[in-house]
Amino acid sequence: MLASLNRATKQYGRTEGVRDLTVEFPPGEVVGVLGLNGSGKSTMLKLLAGLLFPTSGDVAVFDGPARAQRARVVYLGETDALWSWMTPDDAATFMVGLYDDFDVKRYGELLASLAVPRRRTKAMSKGERGRLRLAMALARDAKLYLLDEPLGGIDLLSREKILQSIVRGWHTDETILLSTHEVAEAEGLFERVVYLREGRIALDATAETLRGRGKSVVQTYREVLG
Amino acid sequence: MTIERTCPIDMNAGPIFVQIANHVRQMLARGEIVPGDKLPSARDLAAGLGVNPNTVVHAFAELERMSVIETRRGLGTFVRGDAPVAAMRRDMLRTAAAAFAVEATALGVSTPEALAALKEALNAG
Amino acid sequence: MKGFKTLLWLEFRRNGIWAAILIGSLAFWAWGLFQVRLVEVSQQLEVRAILLVLASAIGAVVLALMIGRIRSETRGGQFQVLLLTPPSGYVHIAARYAFAVATAVVYYVAVGGLAWWTIAMSGLPLDAGSVAQLTLAVPFYGLGITVLPLLAWTLLLMVFIAAYRVSGPGWIPGTVMVLGTPFALRWLIEGIVRASYRLPGWHLFGGLEGAIRQAAAQSNGELDPIAVLPQEPLWIMLAVTAILLAIAGRIWQEVEG
Repeated sequence: MLASLNRATKQYGRTEGVRDLTVEFPPGEVVGVLGLNGSGKSTMLKLLAGLLFPTSGDVAVFDGPARAQRARVVYLGETDALWSWMTPDDAATFMVGLYDDFDVKRYGELLASLAVPRRRTKAMSKGERGRLRLAMALARDAKLYLLDEPLGGIDLLSREKILQSIVRGWHTDETILLSTHEVAEAEGLFERVVYLREGRIALDATAETLRGRGKSVVQTYREVLG
Repeated sequence: MTIERTCPIDMNAGPIFVQIANHVRQMLARGEIVPGDKLPSARDLAAGLGVNPNTVVHAFAELERMSVIETRRGLGTFVRGDAPVAAMRRDMLRTAAAAFAVEATALGVSTPEALAALKEALNAG
Repeated sequence: MKGFKTLLWLEFRRNGIWAAILIGSLAFWAWGLFQVRLVEVSQQLEVRAILLVLASAIGAVVLALMIGRIRSETRGGQFQVLLLTPPSGYVHIAARYAFAVATAVVYYVAVGGLAWWTIAMSGLPLDAGSVAQLTLAVPFYGLGITVLPLLAWTLLLMVFIAAYRVSGPGWIPGTVMVLGTPFALRWLIEGIVRASYRLPGWHLFGGLEGAIRQAAAQSNGELDPIAVLPQEPLWIMLAVTAILLAIAGRIWQEVEG
């Protein structure tokens, strides 16, 4: 198994957290992590990234503790986290110096296809910053990608570009976990969807199975979480 | 040949791989693609449609099973020279006819009346 | 130490402006020291000494603020990005510390230079060896027993606060640590005083003792010639610094984001 949570519990803040969560992710799946705000999506991804440690239960990535695998896992957090002075070139210096799996050539292609301007992030729009962060993330060659709300607050055309970049960059042995509120736009991408409610799994199913029952991922979202 | 531009994906209309497979068969039946044509790669088609590449792979596997397409190692995916185009065309015509029949029955019209309407529509075509 | 160079570059980009402002402020202190010539002659040396001490103290505060600043980056998410980079906590701490120390060295050697300039203005003759001691030995010794441990302590405070930020309010352990520090410091200084002068001290300004005594006599005996530096405080403080940094690096690995 590429990554798994086994009866993992993490509670913090007022609403955030997961409770007794057990779920496994094999290699080569694109998984939609869906749920309302505070349902535990971010917590689950942060646990897998090693940014949080479980209060009880286990989180394993490549059969080890999550934080120890950070060089082999891509995590894209939902906060707009870049230094204001950074240009795309600075970001490349940062990534090349710290990650062995960062592909400068691919980064250049992503910057071009995502139309990221070559200026400081403080002079960029929110969508441009989001695309830059995504280019930094997808230019790495990892086996596990944890993308928390990569489409959040980003305009429609950027969202389409981002989804296309994800499809084009994906290899069949890589697993992508993508949380999003833009379910309708992203649903075609998902092979599997995990619906979370109050820190627990409300439904874990194959997207095509749901559609085979005549219900889109979005419709199921309404039924399961509504 | 532009499968990615013409293939409509409806998330509420059943599995996507079935929709893609049906669309390829439809294009063949309509003559929009012909035996020997090369299909786009699964990755390109997936990116164009905004769907998972595995879904396209699944659709291609389904088409391969139906002897519609074949994968030539290192070259890509092609419509088979012996693809059963005529049979698919006949199948689709039957499906369309059945749908028409259901509607005509629901409207309570007689068979000659329905056939007359069909002929008229075909002539206007 | 993979990634150290990149993290040092990052420090330079993050905090370079602070370092530049700090080093630029030396022009202000130089101007102040120069203006002291307008003060009554008998008080000039004393006022200049106060200005130099002030410059040293403010420098230490600015450096500590620079290195300990974390709130904006934990909120903005940059700190979380750093937590997930491959280099270990020790490398991150080392890079932050190295940049601050490099800045501190430039600043305090320059302050030593200002001290030399001040003494030269007051007409005290200095031989080359004493100048070198004043601009190098004294700043490094002073750094070793004050600023280096202070910066290490600030870094530890920073990761300490960060470590408790997610699962609880970070300011509580931070406050506990700040309040507890004076007691630890008192205990440490008492120990240092007891241990001092067991090892031979370093004699500085050997060629100047007479001149310093003369200046001391002029200033009504308030200026003591300090010409022997005990070794023990330096070694003890450097050891404390190393321990603080090691703990900070260790805690970094456990910080949640």
